[in-house]
Amino acid sequence: MSDFDQIIVGEEWENTDLSLLETLDHVLNRGLVIAGEITIAVADIDLIFVGLNVLVSSVETANEVIRKRQATE
Amino acid sequence: MRLYVYCLAEGVERLNKTPPGVSSASVRIVEFDEDLSALVSVYRADDFHVSRKNALAHHEVVRSITEQTTPLPARFGTVVTIEHLRKYVSTHHEAIKAKLAHVRGGVEMNVRMIHSFATADTSQEPENAGGPGTAFLLEKRREILRDEAGAAQKGKLSGWLGEKLGDLIKEEKITITPSETVILARADHLIARADVQEYRTKMAKAVEERPEIRFMVSGPWPPYSFANIELEFSSQFGVS
Repeated sequence: MSDFDQIIVGEEWENTDLSLLETLDHVLNRGLVIAGEITIAVADIDLIFVGLNVLVSSVETANEVIRKRQATE
Repeated sequence: MRLYVYCLAEGVERLNKTPPGVSSASVRIVEFDEDLSALVSVYRADDFHVSRKNALAHHEVVRSITEQTTPLPARFGTVVTIEHLRKYVSTHHEAIKAKLAHVRGGVEMNVRMIHSFATADTSQEPENAGGPGTAFLLEKRREILRDEAGAAQKGKLSGWLGEKLGDLIKEEKITITPSETVILARADHLIARADVQEYRTKMAKAVEERPEIRFMVSGPWPPYSFANIELEFSSQFGVS
């Protein structure tokens, strides 16, 4: 593995799925937007689906971490 | 001809070990002046699918060039004509060069934090109070309180991270997503590539000090969160 994309601190968070989610989050939601005739992206249902997967998975993961924490308290 | 754009970069003379781009297309360099260029592939609509595979291919191309120079990564799905790309670079030239200078030698680190707390106190709110108008106002009140809590948390978090990471942070962006039971926070940091290990060490120590918060630290990344120049361009040059 190169030095990129490593999840370096994180207990339950440390797995390859989260690394993938982080990568997709960067690629889909950030980066330089060149105004103009771009964006196959936004109108495409597949991309929206990918984006929703990232969002839903992130929230589910967050909730799971909280549930585990509350269960141990 | 339309081009799929991966990033803008300076100092790219040739592509070494650059992986295939989206839809397995080869990656090419478009030069704008002696130092500024873009990494692109020829875009063929019939071959292109918006998919996880292509999103990751986009990232792999950006990542590969980061071993040579610090690029401004484009958002996934950026397709332009060569004429439009040249016009964009021409009209935004100074802003692009300034942004490239800002991120030069840098990488992005991200810290995600989850802080849960007791459900919001609603004991002050009357039960069965009125009709839909009252319910609407109560919800608005909760919304305002959440926003205020989020703003307060943002300031506290920035101060705490600044105290722990000090001069390592060249630029910081903090996003807070408050709800009634949890605060999701994200801090994006631009730091020097040489400081990655020190950043990790300091964050590891900081994490130990706050057991009530769950952390995830990732990076180094190409500076996706610091690449967009539209807002700066608008504010600095009065043009969008």
